[in-house]
Amino acid sequence: MPVPDLFLQGIERGWQVIDASALAQETTLEADVVIIGTGAGGGTSAEILANAGLRVLLVEEGSLKTSSDFKNDEAKAYAELYQEGAARATADAGIGILQGRTVGGTTTVNWTSSFRTPDQTLAHWAEAHDVKGLDSASMAPWFARMEERLGIAPWAVPPNANNDVIRLGCEKLGYHWKVIPRNVRGCWNLGYCGTGCPTNAKQSMLVTTLPAALEKGAVLVHSARAERLVFEGDRVSEVECRAMDATLSQPSGQRLRLRGRHIVLSGGGINNPALLLRSKAPDPHQRVGKRTFLHPVNLTLAQYDRDIHGYYGAPQSIYSDHFQWDQGTTGPVGYKLEVPPMQPSMTSTLMGGFGLQHLHHMASLPQSNILLALLRDGFHEQSQGGSVALRDNGDPLLDYPVTDYLWDGVRRAFLSMGEIQFAAGARAVMPSHAHGRLSTSWADYQEQVAGLSYRLHDVRLASAHVMGGCAMGEDPTRAVVNSQGRHHQLENLSIIDGSLFPTSIGANPQLSVYGLAARLASQLASDLG
Amino acid sequence: MSDTTSANLDRRSLLKLGLGASLMLGTAGLTATLSGCSSSGPAGNMAVLRESDLPLLAALFPAAVGPHPAFSENSNAIELAIAQLDRSLQYSSPFVQSEVLNLLGMLSMPLTRGPLTGIWGDLAQASPEQLEAFLLRWRDSRFELLRKGHKSLLQLLHMAWYATPQSWAAVGYPGPPII
Repeated sequence: MPVPDLFLQGIERGWQVIDASALAQETTLEADVVIIGTGAGGGTSAEILANAGLRVLLVEEGSLKTSSDFKNDEAKAYAELYQEGAARATADAGIGILQGRTVGGTTTVNWTSSFRTPDQTLAHWAEAHDVKGLDSASMAPWFARMEERLGIAPWAVPPNANNDVIRLGCEKLGYHWKVIPRNVRGCWNLGYCGTGCPTNAKQSMLVTTLPAALEKGAVLVHSARAERLVFEGDRVSEVECRAMDATLSQPSGQRLRLRGRHIVLSGGGINNPALLLRSKAPDPHQRVGKRTFLHPVNLTLAQYDRDIHGYYGAPQSIYSDHFQWDQGTTGPVGYKLEVPPMQPSMTSTLMGGFGLQHLHHMASLPQSNILLALLRDGFHEQSQGGSVALRDNGDPLLDYPVTDYLWDGVRRAFLSMGEIQFAAGARAVMPSHAHGRLSTSWADYQEQVAGLSYRLHDVRLASAHVMGGCAMGEDPTRAVVNSQGRHHQLENLSIIDGSLFPTSIGANPQLSVYGLAARLASQLASDLG
Repeated sequence: MSDTTSANLDRRSLLKLGLGASLMLGTAGLTATLSGCSSSGPAGNMAVLRESDLPLLAALFPAAVGPHPAFSENSNAIELAIAQLDRSLQYSSPFVQSEVLNLLGMLSMPLTRGPLTGIWGDLAQASPEQLEAFLLRWRDSRFELLRKGHKSLLQLLHMAWYATPQSWAAVGYPGPPII
């Protein structure tokens, strides 16, 4: 049954969508507001600003891929839809980074988990980072508004067996577990959210806010990187962009100049700071790119005597916060427990070993389950996150040291996850570690985890949540923008996306971005009105 | 540490190399290019990978993946996997591309390959046992750069192999749904 491609239909109806890589000459475009980035922050802002009657111009570094391009094909998706072809990593390659690079940004490829910003996190921002006015009570209506807009509700279908491991194990151990709210409408329960939703069920920016903004006359330029902001006094006068090459590796095509009375950065963590650094934007206290957080993830593999088929079905539907706040907001690192989808290409990198051992692990793929822990970084002085710098060619580079504070969390999370997997009936559990081996008893597993090396590259670490780097807060010596997302030094520059977060979130961040963006963009619309 | 033998081997050979080792690692790509061991441009039907990388990868895929039935069932199995790796690299960044080429260059250049891998002849001709010993040696190295090399190499090879449909049936993956 063919699925209608909403985006291509819109273009046929006259949406203004420009493929920069096909431009024959240098081009200048003007609008009221220029938004750099089309993910959760840029998409949400675009709809709100366009609805307020402002002329909106969006620029996206990735290309335009829509439902008819999405074939549940891992390799094609990682290459086309992710930053650096899904090979982005921290400077020492210790942590692999999955981040979207396509129209819709990470929302096009994320796994749909949608949590409100935890109360503890918002309280901590007010207390420790001088963030004003973003308390739980005043944010609640903004989260509610975006939940309504994006169809966010707890997943009503039974979880797949991969997710059900968390429910079973936590039930047995008396640990907290809960159903994950997802941003879907009419989801087919396929399990391929990470390769782009082929049925337009996922309510990503690609099928919601961006179409709404385009209907209102917004202009979208894709396949172009914002290379530099040009300043006149304390204002941004122009955004210099350049078209990307056909494989999105480098900006080597036509130049574009985008002008607007207000500029919004929504390129996300890593890319926003890189643009500010390339532009030599005022940064008197050297805050740009600092305190970039990742929710570093470690994982455990378990094998069962029953079928799991973790590559099919909603990828994330059950979570546990049992170990998230149990040691306080600012104590030893807390973590959220979830599962990843288990398509073979990505999963093969987590199976451990090589040669025959790796093949044996892969051969049990249909009976295997993986748990992951999102480490809540940035709440403790020994967790200052990473720092963004530039490579010689202007590409961004994130230096993120993994501290003993985080290694302690990695070790504890290995134990928590293994305990849950054994409780859920695993016949063997293995930490995702260069020296990991399958333990067939909880006692042996505990011994294994105690004896592992906790150092870079031995432990498999990944991140799908880049946050911070353009922190908000009222104190200009500590933050890049104020609590309204307005730049402390530049009069007509806002930042609206996950790069604002002064710490990590402690939950998958998309709804945090949506709620905050809805609020800040609404304020901006009335300021510009 | 589970494998003290290879850890000791590693230490001995690296001590012998002294401080030169890290320097060599850093300049391997450059040296490889200068010495003409690796041609600078991509191979004829490739976008990123060079002619000199292809025989290396043909040897490394089975070492990383293990005795997967597709290797014998499909005469062009390795070709397909290499083509997949090349396509993925094409969409990555200039930095990632140069890192991967440096890593492969280091494995093809005698000056770096011998001391760092323990394989003194052509790596493409190495026995499965030699390749296994090399991968273990890098896994257990106290040098972060070699452990990084171990992880990166395996990730590239595993991801590319299990992206190709030929690899799926043997591990019980029925394939993605067709819409």
